[in-house]
Amino acid sequence: MENQVKVSRVGVHLTQQQLAERVGVTRQTISLIEKGKYNPTLKLCLEICYAVNKTLDEVFWIEKESGSNGKN
Amino acid sequence: MERIKDERLQLRNLKNIRIVYIIQTFGILAILAYDLVTKGMDGMTGNPLWAVFMISAVVNAYLMMNISVDHEKQTSPKKGLYISLAVISVLSIASGVMVTLVGSNGIGSGFLIGGIILVCSLVPVIYIYLLRKRKTEEDDEEELSS
Repeated sequence: MENQVKVSRVGVHLTQQQLAERVGVTRQTISLIEKGKYNPTLKLCLEICYAVNKTLDEVFWIEKESGSNGKN
Repeated sequence: MERIKDERLQLRNLKNIRIVYIIQTFGILAILAYDLVTKGMDGMTGNPLWAVFMISAVVNAYLMMNISVDHEKQTSPKKGLYISLAVISVLSIASGVMVTLVGSNGIGSGFLIGGIILVCSLVPVIYIYLLRKRKTEEDDEEELSS
């Protein structure tokens, strides 16, 4: 799923490794989240937001695609 | 080994365990099938792996009840309990009567078999009743608080 983790992370001058250590996961997980290949839990999303000083809205919100049926 | 804190790796680990479980179950089934062919039914049930297989099947069935209760549409727990009680009573009485009438078994065996079937069916029926009751109570609480 698309997100703004990379932009937010670079904004606060953190490397993937540093962010990973702050939120308590591995660097690979951060990398996969940035690429949109892993859906983090809400808890991890919040941890990431705290680490980059942004809200969930700013980092993870995406507009609903037109024509989608609301399921995922 | 260090404890895994990464949620992605924990999930991955669970998926790996699932694969191992599938392989293990196939292995157990293969061994039991071999025993069934070479030693017959008694040879198979005599194998301790049979007990392992049956216990895991029963545990799996009870865990599945937790899921199916959440999945099913809202029904009255008491109504379900009464229907189940009626069905298992009829079944156990019928099997008791069958055992008494068919073959050279006395009425004692009929009572024994019927009683065993009744008790064995009663446990899951009561368990699922308690699960449904808890679910309805939780739903009621949610409705009251909202």
